[in-house]
Amino acid sequence: MKHKYLFVAVLLTVLLLAGMGVTRLYVSVETSQKEELKIVTSFYPMYIAVCNVVGEAEGVTVTNLSEPKTGCMHDYQLSPEDMKTLSQADVFVVNGGGIESFLGDVAQQYPNLTIIDACQGMELLGEEEDEGHAGEDAEDEHDHDGANAHVWMSIERYMAQLDNITSGLAQLDDVRGELYRENANSYKARLQALKEEAAELSDTVRGVGIVLFHEAYAYVVEDYGMQVIDILNLDEERQVSAGEVAQLIANIRDNGVTVVLAEELYGKDMGEIIEEATDAKVYYLDTLNRGTYERDSYLRGMEENIRILKEAFAE
Amino acid sequence: MTAFFTEWWSYGFMRNAFLAVLIITPLFGLLGTMIVNNKMAFFSDALGHSALTGIAIGVVLGVTDTTWSMVVFAILFALLLNYIGSKAAASTDTVISVFSSASIAVGLAILSRGGNFSHYSSLLVGDILSITPREILYLLIIFGATMIFWVTGFNRLNAVSLNRTLARSRGIPVRLMELVFAVFIALIVMLSIKWVGILIINALLILPAAGSRNISVNMREYHFFSVLFSLFSGIVGLIISYFTNVATGPMIVILAAVIYFATYIYGRKRVQ
Repeated sequence: MKHKYLFVAVLLTVLLLAGMGVTRLYVSVETSQKEELKIVTSFYPMYIAVCNVVGEAEGVTVTNLSEPKTGCMHDYQLSPEDMKTLSQADVFVVNGGGIESFLGDVAQQYPNLTIIDACQGMELLGEEEDEGHAGEDAEDEHDHDGANAHVWMSIERYMAQLDNITSGLAQLDDVRGELYRENANSYKARLQALKEEAAELSDTVRGVGIVLFHEAYAYVVEDYGMQVIDILNLDEERQVSAGEVAQLIANIRDNGVTVVLAEELYGKDMGEIIEEATDAKVYYLDTLNRGTYERDSYLRGMEENIRILKEAFAE
Repeated sequence: MTAFFTEWWSYGFMRNAFLAVLIITPLFGLLGTMIVNNKMAFFSDALGHSALTGIAIGVVLGVTDTTWSMVVFAILFALLLNYIGSKAAASTDTVISVFSSASIAVGLAILSRGGNFSHYSSLLVGDILSITPREILYLLIIFGATMIFWVTGFNRLNAVSLNRTLARSRGIPVRLMELVFAVFIALIVMLSIKWVGILIINALLILPAAGSRNISVNMREYHFFSVLFSLFSGIVGLIISYFTNVATGPMIVILAAVIYFATYIYGRKRVQ
């Protein structure tokens, strides 16, 4: 009889020790060096933008809340780890416009955390109406504000986001404010070059009919002035019904659309169906919301997008 | 190493989660003993799945706090399941399976309208940030109610579980006891499902009791070990999940499963 209790006691102790051992492997020894400014960004495009603004500034750490491959954060769930990261941060840089759906919770938990909204003062494009019919009332339940917040896809708006971030950071940290502005300006000079390249292309494509498979491309279209015939927002878990596909194919045929823009990750299957059923050709643009942590990755991604668009409209 | 026991305490959401675990895991352990005895594991599993429909109905009706629609639906579901199970010609597991899959189907159909199911995917694996002080209050109330029910009704419930006819001859309201028990399971499952997750809630009800059964020889031991295992895996699982950044529900279940296997091996050795 006594054996049993002993056994249980040993079992539980071993489990407890094993648990503590496992966590010890995970918990990296907290380097409590005195950082003067801890910046946390919400997701990839914001991280890249902030890195460019901060540059080589000393005593500043930039941490990204999500993984580089997370993509957009529409349905992101904060983990205890994230809450810990945020609790140590001085400033939280977000894209805004509803992409960070957990922002309300964060603001409530950490009233002292400065939040820089990169979309501040910017008018967003609305989400396309024709695809909301299936879930209108369900949508309302989630205070989804219905706006399309993928603003970084427009070079011009991305530059405005940079301004918002720079002025927000400079306000908070006036010691390095000048440095931030210098960094932002040299980054913007390189973006300006891309913008001019895009402007050249926009002369030839203005008003051409086009179909989009991701609402993010609405901002690309805004830069170039094409005319959107139809938009089907294919993302993480969007299920498409057969009726929608038929409608889309009819639309493409009726309007003689030759170019469809899609995201490789979620639009590939649909893209193949469309190419088979119509004369349109599908081009896969980078939505620039996931990638590697290199400072120039936005520039390079955008450059590649411009090249693809040039090719698409070459004929 | 004391950090293991102290560091997380400074976060409000962890304190909430800790309190919730402290209240709910003993209940899981207690009710689990009877669920395992009565071979109701499948029943409680179906009940967990009905949470999807409960939430879906809440969304359709525009209820602000879907916990309520979930609880109401689960109670109705449990009563109906019990009633049909006792009437229908098919065996109980068939009836339960029909109910379980029908309610998942309805829930999925409503919640996935417009391709929006991803909003609800947290229900499947659970989210400990969803524990609010209000939820803890609900848990406290249900904790008190369960304790009263257990102290006053356990002997009768046990009699029913051993032999229905014998229990009836002793003047025990058999149907009533079964219904009340089903309602208690429904309440506890629904109040903890948002942070434990639909996919694994049943494991929390079953594993501690099953592990305890491996090594117990009487009711007292059965209860004691079941509550102990449940509480232990709950608390340690929560803390490990905090440090290792994995979802809490699965971590708790993994611990409970390890305990189950260890006691299984130990129990077999003793029999031989």
